[in-house]
Amino acid sequence: MSKPNDTFTVNIDGQILLASKGLTILQVAEENHIYIPTLCAHKDLTPFGGCRMCIVEVEGMRGFPTACTTPVEEGMIIRTDTAQIQKVRMEILQLILSEHTSSCLICEEKEECREFQGTIRKVGVTTGCRYCSKDGQCELQEVVEKLRLRQINYPIYYRHLRVEKDDPFYDRDYNLCILCGRCIRVCQEIRTANTLTFKQRGCYTVIGPAYDRSHLDAGCEFCGACVSVCPTGALSEKTNKWEGEIEQKTTTTCPLCSIGCQIGLLLKGGKVIGTLPAEDPLVNNGQLCVKGRFCITELVNNFHRLKKPYRTHDGIKVEISWQEAIKLAAEKISACPAEDFGLLISPNCSNEDLYIAQKFTRAAIGSHQIDTSARVFYGAGFNAYLDLMKMSASLSDIKNASLVLCIGLDTRFGRSVIGVEIRKALKKGARLFTIHPREHNLALIAEKWLQPVPGTEVDILNTLVNLSEEKRKAAPPAKSKWRIKSYEDELSGLVEMLKKAYSPIILLGSEFLQYKESPQIYEAVRKLTQKVKAKVLPLPPQNNLFGSILSGSYPELLPGGFSSTEEQRLKYLSKKWGKNLPAFSSGWNAEKLLAGTKLKVLYLIGEVPTGFRPPADFIIFQNIYPPAPFFEADLVLPSAAFTEVEGTYINSEGRIQRVRKGVEPPGEALPDWEILCRIAQEMGRKGFEFSNPCEIREELSNLIKGFDEREIDERKINPLICEGKFVVSRSGLPIKKKDAKNFPFLLTASSVEDTYRGFPLSLWVEGAKKLFAEGILEINPEDAQKSGISQDDEVIVTASSFEETWRARISKEQPQGILHARLFPFEKIGPNPHAVRIRKKNA
Amino acid sequence: MTEKILFKYIDQPDQYKIDTYIKNGGYQAVPRVLKELSPEQVIDIIKKSGLRGRGGAGFPTGMKWGFVPKDSSKPRFLLCNADEGEPGTFKDRELMQKDPHQLLEGIIISSYAIGANLSFIYIRGEFAFEANRLEEAIKEAYNKGFLGKNILGTGFDLEIKVHRGGGAYICGEETSLLSSIEGVRPLVRLRPPYPAISGCYECPSAVNNVETLSNVPHIIINGAEWYAGIGTPKSKGTKIFCLSGQVNKPGNYELPMGTPLRELIEEYGGGIKNNRKLKAVIPGGVSTQVLPVTKVDVKLDFESLIEAGSMLGSGAVIVMDENTCMVETAYRLVQFFEHESCGECTPCREGTYWLSRIMKRIVQGQGRMEDIDLLLDLCDNIFGKTICPLGDSVTIPITSTLQHFREEYEYHIKNKRCPVERK
Repeated sequence: MSKPNDTFTVNIDGQILLASKGLTILQVAEENHIYIPTLCAHKDLTPFGGCRMCIVEVEGMRGFPTACTTPVEEGMIIRTDTAQIQKVRMEILQLILSEHTSSCLICEEKEECREFQGTIRKVGVTTGCRYCSKDGQCELQEVVEKLRLRQINYPIYYRHLRVEKDDPFYDRDYNLCILCGRCIRVCQEIRTANTLTFKQRGCYTVIGPAYDRSHLDAGCEFCGACVSVCPTGALSEKTNKWEGEIEQKTTTTCPLCSIGCQIGLLLKGGKVIGTLPAEDPLVNNGQLCVKGRFCITELVNNFHRLKKPYRTHDGIKVEISWQEAIKLAAEKISACPAEDFGLLISPNCSNEDLYIAQKFTRAAIGSHQIDTSARVFYGAGFNAYLDLMKMSASLSDIKNASLVLCIGLDTRFGRSVIGVEIRKALKKGARLFTIHPREHNLALIAEKWLQPVPGTEVDILNTLVNLSEEKRKAAPPAKSKWRIKSYEDELSGLVEMLKKAYSPIILLGSEFLQYKESPQIYEAVRKLTQKVKAKVLPLPPQNNLFGSILSGSYPELLPGGFSSTEEQRLKYLSKKWGKNLPAFSSGWNAEKLLAGTKLKVLYLIGEVPTGFRPPADFIIFQNIYPPAPFFEADLVLPSAAFTEVEGTYINSEGRIQRVRKGVEPPGEALPDWEILCRIAQEMGRKGFEFSNPCEIREELSNLIKGFDEREIDERKINPLICEGKFVVSRSGLPIKKKDAKNFPFLLTASSVEDTYRGFPLSLWVEGAKKLFAEGILEINPEDAQKSGISQDDEVIVTASSFEETWRARISKEQPQGILHARLFPFEKIGPNPHAVRIRKKNA
Repeated sequence: MTEKILFKYIDQPDQYKIDTYIKNGGYQAVPRVLKELSPEQVIDIIKKSGLRGRGGAGFPTGMKWGFVPKDSSKPRFLLCNADEGEPGTFKDRELMQKDPHQLLEGIIISSYAIGANLSFIYIRGEFAFEANRLEEAIKEAYNKGFLGKNILGTGFDLEIKVHRGGGAYICGEETSLLSSIEGVRPLVRLRPPYPAISGCYECPSAVNNVETLSNVPHIIINGAEWYAGIGTPKSKGTKIFCLSGQVNKPGNYELPMGTPLRELIEEYGGGIKNNRKLKAVIPGGVSTQVLPVTKVDVKLDFESLIEAGSMLGSGAVIVMDENTCMVETAYRLVQFFEHESCGECTPCREGTYWLSRIMKRIVQGQGRMEDIDLLLDLCDNIFGKTICPLGDSVTIPITSTLQHFREEYEYHIKNKRCPVERK
């Protein structure tokens, strides 16, 4: 029998084993369950050979080669466990431990001590030397136990390095570091972020960003990949470092943006103690961004979570039972005329919740007045954006792309998973172009960064479209001195490349989603995509925008993407739901809410209008956190977070993905669908007798394609089919003449996109306060100096239509003459850009 | 004494200028090679000459070039290792300072042999004078048409770049040198792949020492047989010995391979200073074993020194007289290696630290008898277990001084002071 050339046998410890070319000795040994101790080796990383624990003997080879770096060869005779190897390993391990605080490893009282430890937290009583949070999960500890090391001949050399706790989300105690280099390799090879490196040399070697910068300054994405691979307690997550070993893991879908990363919820004692990326080849491929990796634990565990329903009587909070709450809600809603009822639901909710909410509005109340905050977010451009969503490509197209054009995309914190895919494509030879007004992480690696002055991006895109047409039309003339004059040569070069590229892809981030000209921008992107035969992937910040459209959570849309004006469909649904649905007439929607249209009952599910109490007689506030005190919601209902419910989301590609329950909701909190169903039943409406989300999905699958349980498990991509259209107001404000004398600055504002159910992450997550701050004004250092503004000063920004005060953050990334404000959700100053002037408060 | 090869014109003050160099017969090998010989023939000549690397390992140069694949689609690079960092070694410095064109000529021929069109001279940052002089010399060579596009009308292109190092001993190791040229931290790379297959920027590369490359033009002009006729049967040619320490006339001496060590010290070095007695010699730089006075009749070539329990290394002969304390010497050397350990692998990073601590303790009179065994144990754990030879080097001063001068260690420990009475 002939064997293929690259398979042969090797002899490890007397066993004849089959091996194939390209494998290392360690890999072959591991496949065959032969234990070789390792510390620096990691299955996903290139071999390093630094720790030297895996030394073996190979006949015919000089000295002791390391198993992790030596490739197997035919007929190799390898010994992994001779007396001499054992001795050398023991010595090397002692050397490693000589600079690692190690009393937990070799203490004589170890066994007895462990029995009497009531807690592994830092407490005021003696419970053993638990100074390392990795106790019990430490790979070094495991190796020490496996090799049965009992004493260390060298004294312990404590390095006296300051424990680094300044950066958000994780602590670094390099006194526990064994310099295995895994964090550096994962940062360079897998994340391709290149933040970390070795510094100094010899026994003074430490790990960190070069030139002693902070991680924040060095461009760290806080993805936590380094924390995940650290074998010791050197790197530890702030939120869960003292939690100990996990008990259980549940895979679910992250709700913090539309990529829909698969995450593993780490569970212990009925609590989510952490999240890790799931090994999922379809979406995030074992990667996560800072939000998914670090924010979720704090977000769902914050002690401010709502646990019981309550109502407000003259400003006084009165806790009530669910029964009373449901009864009160049903009473108020029943008494309310259909045209005076409005329901606002967050696009963070699951498809099941969204579907029930719109069924509740349509079938239980007989109104079409259900909406989401996405309408306010996208404004006049909602339809154009919808058109782009229908064309959405798949995430795997990014790494196979030969040219990537990013429009308004920043992948440093949010969407860093996309950044990793882009850099993978670059490694394969793809070219990257980016259009963004501010310096961002892609600008550093892009072949060309087009930096439009706010207001000119539509010119750039239109020029691209014009150039891509067969007959070249002249580019639109520069309109004013604000407009950038000649990008044309570069643009025609870019169009040529786009046309020639065999697989170009356009990624649409969120920078230009809220511009005065965003409808035209989306339109231009769509035309460009079609002209150059590129793929396009819009990446909305709302995680289930796709689902909210499909489930019909808008006045104009019915489930399945049908238009509400389609009478046949209305009749069909009326029959199905056993309730005559009214004909569609454009009444209340989220924009009216902002405009101040008064309602009798306003039902907010996962939506939090900030800064004002919406005009309504009776407000039902259903969320996971309480509303701001001035809000005075009349009835507050506690909902369950995504870690506590079953359901599905649809990501930006159109992939239906499961949300799985990991823990019970806190207190008496209930899933949104269940609350809605109970109110509907209390109102005496039929068609809400669901006992679990499966039953809802069954009903959904009759109306929308892809919701069959089996199809969900396949996680196929279903392109968005939507016949309906939004009724959008044309962008309201006329473009005013620029008044450079009175308003010398241009301001762009972005509504915070790092939210969950209407709350900005920075409100409930400590580390997010540093990364995603709201209510701040970013300003170039030189502009700040000229205006006499320093960091954290309050700055009054005046435009012709508004005057606002924000805190200044001086940022080199901001170009001169242009300001950027990060707004709270629902805070609105009209579409970008604005001509403004600034002055320091109290100056 | 036979004729000098590399140092023939070393005393001429203007030898570094291209005109003087050409007047003295320089740049004759380049046209001969480019016009008359194929790369394979050049490699053949070098193989036949028996030229071995002068950086320390003594690997046959022709063989090294032969490993560079000829049919690779990638560009190939020739790297000149001018990171002369071994304590006691100062030969390359003088070669670059006084006869830079000899080196450039060698680089041109060698680049032609392996098919490189870009060559780097990796020079240590401290050699600012030499780096400037090389840059001047490169400019002159460009102007005369020995470098650049289409050299001497033969169609062969070559650029030479001088790359200054940032200051690390480890950069003299060939794979770290590659990393350093690429601009990353000079960590030693794992082998395989060897630099000849995947070196600088993952392209086939050859790394050669300054002295090695300087020999090349002379071999081409005078022929392989002439070169092979000098020296011993296995170690051919001449070698520059850097004589330092307590001798009357320290300096660089170019002598044929196989010259006895005693001859070098007594005849050329003018004997020991102040008529003191010779105590020990380090024959090839601090990474080689100390030889006691009893072995001073050894011949200076690769094989004889190995037989005597040491190595030729870079040819840095450090002479120590009876006033030298061997324990302190070993401590000083260990300190050097501790400072230069890169920190990549455990035995070297931690081992050098502990060796240095234990040595300090002994030198300061706080040693214990067990320390000697601890030292040997540690050395045993480091030797052969590290990624690069730096780990081996650190153990050598300790094991060899312990082998020959154990009583001095014991004296230090027992009497808490140094046995050497300084006269």
